[in-house]
Amino acid sequence: MMHPYELRLSHFQAMVIFALVISIAFGFLSRRGAYKRAKYILWSFILFLLIGVGIGWAMYPFSR
Amino acid sequence: MPDEVPVAETTNAVPLPQAVSTYPEPTQDRHRRDALALTIAAAAWFLPGLGHALLKMWGRALVCFSAVALLVILGAGMRGNIFSRNGEDAFAKLGYVADLGAGSFYFVAKALEPTGPDVSHANGDYGTRLLATAGVLNMLAALHAYEVARARKA
Repeated sequence: MMHPYELRLSHFQAMVIFALVISIAFGFLSRRGAYKRAKYILWSFILFLLIGVGIGWAMYPFSR
Repeated sequence: MPDEVPVAETTNAVPLPQAVSTYPEPTQDRHRRDALALTIAAAAWFLPGLGHALLKMWGRALVCFSAVALLVILGAGMRGNIFSRNGEDAFAKLGYVADLGAGSFYFVAKALEPTGPDVSHANGDYGTRLLATAGVLNMLAALHAYEVARARKA
């Protein structure tokens, strides 16, 4: 039975939420100014996703 | 010697402003600043964002609090493993250190998981990672607040 509070996220959803939250936190901690922060957050978010998907595909041949 | 002239008349040097003075900071002030920085770091660890709030960095404070809170709520909601002090192996002990990094949110996560973790599915495993990330992120934010308080960072 599923707990009333229990969340079920797909792999991709979990990765996107993780990447977004961490990118925003890193952007605010490491940069000053709205433009620099936005640029850093966007780049970091895109790289998180690309590298995550890339590692996923790199592991694909060994998954079976 | 007749050729000798006063130094003040021969130099164009401008006196150094106070801000870039090369004189060392008095020891008492340095100790006071170190103590304040440690207090701010402890506050930042205990309640995510509090360290930056004490330094009047409102945006960073809000983001730190929200990011750690969101990660803890998601991690606990996905029934991730919250490690306890009695870890059996090195990984469990490291996991406990990472989880404890979230400060008071460690106990919030425990309260949000009344039925305990469920890592039999990938979902629970992701939750474990999110909880550890919340702790490590909060430790990073506390370190940042400490460095700012010691005037090493902007």
